[in-house]
Amino acid sequence: MNVIEIKKLTKNYGKARGIIDVDLNVEQGEVFGFIGPNGAGKSTTIRTLLGLIYPTSGSATIFGKNCTESPEVRKELGYLPSEVFYYDNMKVIDLLKYSASFYHKDCTNRIKELAEIMDLDLKKKIDELSFGNKKKVGIVQGLLHEPKLIILDEPTSGLDPLMQQKFFELIEEENKKGATVFFSSHILTEVQRLCNRVAFIKEGRIIKVEKMSTLQENTYKRINIEAKAGISSEAFNLRGVSDFTAKGNTANFIFKGNMNDMIRKLSEVELRNISITEPDLEEIFLNYYAKEE
Amino acid sequence: MNIFIREWRANRKALIIWSVCMILFVLIGMSKYTAYSTEGGSDIFNQMPTTMKALLGIGSFDVTTMSGFYAFLYPYLALTTGIHAVLLGNGIIAKEERDKTTEFLMAKPVSRASIITAKLMVAVINVLIINLITLVSSILMVSAYNKGESITGEIVVFLIDMLITQLIFLTIGTLLSAFYRNPKASGALATGILFGAYIISKVTDITDQLGFLNILSPLKYFSYQRIVEGNGLNIGIVLLSIALIAACTSLTYLCYQRRDLSI
Repeated sequence: MNVIEIKKLTKNYGKARGIIDVDLNVEQGEVFGFIGPNGAGKSTTIRTLLGLIYPTSGSATIFGKNCTESPEVRKELGYLPSEVFYYDNMKVIDLLKYSASFYHKDCTNRIKELAEIMDLDLKKKIDELSFGNKKKVGIVQGLLHEPKLIILDEPTSGLDPLMQQKFFELIEEENKKGATVFFSSHILTEVQRLCNRVAFIKEGRIIKVEKMSTLQENTYKRINIEAKAGISSEAFNLRGVSDFTAKGNTANFIFKGNMNDMIRKLSEVELRNISITEPDLEEIFLNYYAKEE
Repeated sequence: MNIFIREWRANRKALIIWSVCMILFVLIGMSKYTAYSTEGGSDIFNQMPTTMKALLGIGSFDVTTMSGFYAFLYPYLALTTGIHAVLLGNGIIAKEERDKTTEFLMAKPVSRASIITAKLMVAVINVLIINLITLVSSILMVSAYNKGESITGEIVVFLIDMLITQLIFLTIGTLLSAFYRNPKASGALATGILFGAYIISKVTDITDQLGFLNILSPLKYFSYQRIVEGNGLNIGIVLLSIALIAACTSLTYLCYQRRDLSI
């Protein structure tokens, strides 16, 4: 069963680009990564999905229902917005209780549990909190009713590494209990360990949806070489080479394919130095998928 | 119900401040009556040119009597409670977008219509309380200064007029915030409309020829002269005003449900 179904979703903001023909399906129980640079349309997609803004065309549903037509489907939704602003003048606990009051179930214990895990002081006033602590309020607020679908929009910004770690553990745990997670981020490495699948969005369009395992099976290497003589731009005209830049005696590129071919090619060049590293997934996406489409 | 309670609490402090202000307003306003009603007072007013009287808000009322004096004081009360109503109506809806809490609220299992309903209920109760407080303090203060016959009946009619005016401004306020995505622009426009209505009411006081402009000013929907003369409110205009309130309310629901929320 698909928990999230987005079909041909388009949103124009007047002349400005929003999102164009976005198609996505998120299956029950999976952790789905939604990756793209800032301004690519991640938040627009989520806000249309949740019914805050209306699509220009296409449709978006959660649990098979449209959020504007059936707002009650949102009772199984936990949402953490990218920027967390809450009613000032309210204590953390009051805000959390207000949030819980929408779900008609007792969330008191879960609030305490989550606050303890996230190391959050419930008695403080919200406007006195730092950005990171406000983010924690957002996390607790999004999870306190044990939702079946968790949508996270840039959840880790503002959290220190230790808190990020705890947060990931929390999400993993919710996922084991059966929650579906939709995780939007501009940093691929942070979703790498959690996600089953990732979609990459760029300039309002989905470039590629790929299984995490497939991504990790292919070996991509970033290769930097420094030769004794100048390197011509045709020297590495090999299948699987991309993002090639040659400057004087140095060259820099990503390689995907048979390593032996590459080694043979490299042996033809009189080298002074070489480094072979793992490129991050963002580079892989940008250099392979973006160009293939 | 939870949104209702939350809004009620959020508006409580403002309600108390406005209530105190209205009591003080009536108190100070009425304390001036002694100066107007002293002997020879009516001569001064009789010699004043009509335009001058209109500007001062006296018009054709005999302000040396309690009945005329209250009619002279009343427009200022109506203007003040109108400001309260239009700002309340505009703010109660626009603040979610102004304070960026829309994403929090709209991720909850509530429809936009039920949000509007809860907020409108709180706003209407607030307006009613302000009205009742003005009514009670007017009756009490008037009876403290009044040496002639009781004008409680007249005050009640004035305050019914005020309630209608308040509700018109309240729903204009909610409509503006439901229509405009930019919460700051809708707030500015709301206050603008109110002062526009006030200026129109002054202009039409000064000259007889621009009476048709009164349709733009809810402050002038009912004839104060008629109320002072004990003829009450024109039922036709009451019905039209209720229709206007109903129209603004339905448009508030319609616009708020149709537009993109600003985040």
